[in-house]
Amino acid sequence: MKILLIEDDADTSSFVANGLREHGHVVDQSADGRDGLFLASSEGYDVMVIDRMLPRVDGLAIVKTVRGAGVRVPVLLLTTLGGVNDRVEGLEAGADDYLIKPFAFAELLARVNALARRPPIAEGESVLRVGDLELNRLKRTVTRSGKRIEVQPQEFRLLEYLMHHAGQVVTRTMLLENVWEFHFDPRTSVVETHISRLRAKIDRGFDRPLLHTVRGSGYCLSATA
Amino acid sequence: MQPRRFLRSASFRLVVWYAAVFGTSVALLLAIVYWIVVSALNQQLRDAVERELTVLTEVYRNRGVDRAAAGIQLRVAELSPPRMYYLLQDAAGRRIAGNFPPMTPREGWAVMAIPAAGAGEGPVKPSAGSSLLAQGVRLPNGEFLLVGENRYRVVKAEEAIIGALGGGIAITVLLAFAGGALLAVGFLRRIEEINRTSRSIMAGNLFNRVPTRGSGDEMDQLAINLNAMLDRIQVLMESLKRVSDDIAHDLRTPLSRLRQRLEVARDRARTPEDYAAVVDRSLAEVDAILETFAALLRIAQIEAGSRRASFSDVSLEGVVHTVSEIYAPVAEDNGQRLEASVECAALVDGDRDLLMQMTANLLENSIRHCPPGALIAVRLAAEGGAPVLRVADNGPGIPAAERERVFRRFYRLDASRSTPGSGLGLALVKAVADLHGATVELSDNHPGLRVVVRFRAFGGPLRPAQPVRHEIAPEPLRDTP
Repeated sequence: MKILLIEDDADTSSFVANGLREHGHVVDQSADGRDGLFLASSEGYDVMVIDRMLPRVDGLAIVKTVRGAGVRVPVLLLTTLGGVNDRVEGLEAGADDYLIKPFAFAELLARVNALARRPPIAEGESVLRVGDLELNRLKRTVTRSGKRIEVQPQEFRLLEYLMHHAGQVVTRTMLLENVWEFHFDPRTSVVETHISRLRAKIDRGFDRPLLHTVRGSGYCLSATA
Repeated sequence: MQPRRFLRSASFRLVVWYAAVFGTSVALLLAIVYWIVVSALNQQLRDAVERELTVLTEVYRNRGVDRAAAGIQLRVAELSPPRMYYLLQDAAGRRIAGNFPPMTPREGWAVMAIPAAGAGEGPVKPSAGSSLLAQGVRLPNGEFLLVGENRYRVVKAEEAIIGALGGGIAITVLLAFAGGALLAVGFLRRIEEINRTSRSIMAGNLFNRVPTRGSGDEMDQLAINLNAMLDRIQVLMESLKRVSDDIAHDLRTPLSRLRQRLEVARDRARTPEDYAAVVDRSLAEVDAILETFAALLRIAQIEAGSRRASFSDVSLEGVVHTVSEIYAPVAEDNGQRLEASVECAALVDGDRDLLMQMTANLLENSIRHCPPGALIAVRLAAEGGAPVLRVADNGPGIPAAERERVFRRFYRLDASRSTPGSGLGLALVKAVADLHGATVELSDNHPGLRVVVRFRAFGGPLRPAQPVRHEIAPEPLRDTP
């Protein structure tokens, strides 16, 4: 995957770039808003990772400009700790996701992957399938190998999100933000509880587990792993 | 106040302008009066002169030059001191009658000097410098008749008005200056008070305030507004100071712990496994520190109130329902039971993310501090037209003496010191409630803790929705059929 990284802090930039390269991605780095904007609007990237605060041209302005020029490449915005309105501003400017610094590399990687492989039409599909697991969004039913599985509303949302990102690692924070709209870190095991219940329902009694825990990163729903 | 400062002040400029405008007005007014009075008097004078001339001309025409001369003599004799002047002279320029010296005949109006005393018949004693308005006319037989009147009254009136003009302007300007200065000194004193307060605050006396007088005038308004601004700044400063104090006090402990761990690892760790274990634990510690840090910043930002700008209609019922649904399984895994009952569909003007977090914090607080077997009840009801959120449990509760203190940052009950947690949960609840204009009360649930969050009544629909009681029944963990 070809990734553009616009980040002025040298340590963060090399930390992210090296990590992404180790995972087989091609990374272009820019430490300056204006050069970054030039790259962002000229080259064909799969994902762009842009810092919110940059010298010369602000990260938000880059996103706005690039979107204004019709570039649809997914953008992950990096924001600083405690910027209360950063998330809303970032998403309004046209960013697809945001990540608060400091972050674990696994978190960034999972989000970059999720953005890059976002299925463009899945929003409209009424039936999602992973292996023999099937989720019908209209009837709001879940079946595995044709057997009906009863799930609670919150579990349905969780499963829907996991199936949307089938084959990808989703982190705890991604689940909190996207499934439950928690923009804070709960002090109880909310994610673990819901995952274990869902796992009990969809995997127990079947030979092949579908919901996997990826150590140090998060979870992955996959028929092949 | 030093005079030089006064001369440079805006008030002084104002005073000068006032004096100039008033002075000009008075001058203009008096000029008009002067013009009207003088022309009226002049007209009177002309009328009188013309009347006399007409009468004498008539006499001359009808009764002859001698009768006219006799008439003049009679008039001159009567007038003492003379107000009117007459001259009747023959064609050769010799005076026939009158109290005015012979002259070159000139018809029409003229202003002339009054002849010196003794120049004519009778006592002529004009006031020095006086003049006279006269009209001359040639008579049919070559005689010349002149009648004039002393302009004394006109001149006097002119003098009086000009005198008044000077005095009036002088008095006006003087009054304008005096009044303006008095006014300016008052204003300057109040501005000086504001300046003094500002300087004092800049010098570090942050609690100083501009004195107000309760008069409600503009200066008082200014003082009140300045004080309100200072109060607001002080609140923000204190919040900032609290955050830095908190960070200094409460992040030092975990940071020292982290340091010790790393130091021990450097000295004692032998195998890669040892190092890995230390690194993992240190990472966890750093994450916890960052989390605390983020929570502190978040509370500070909530307290600063900047989020109010993005408030929108939030369905409190939806928030309570969702959060309860999310936490019911968590409570259940803890061996507790979570019951939610939403009895009204209330909209509040607020921030959905923060209301979610507040509700989550309240539930987590109960879940984490209650033993297995506890019942946690969440209830949203309308009371007096305003939504009220109650979270009650039958756990250990909080002693009455400690209830206010648990809202402070990092305050933790002795009983819960051993359990993980930053001591920021209820502080955030309080901050979010304050931001939404809601009150938070802690009370005894006999046994346990009851938290009541009272929101303000909101203009939106507070429908007494069908009392939905979605009990999130603990669902037995069972294998799929």
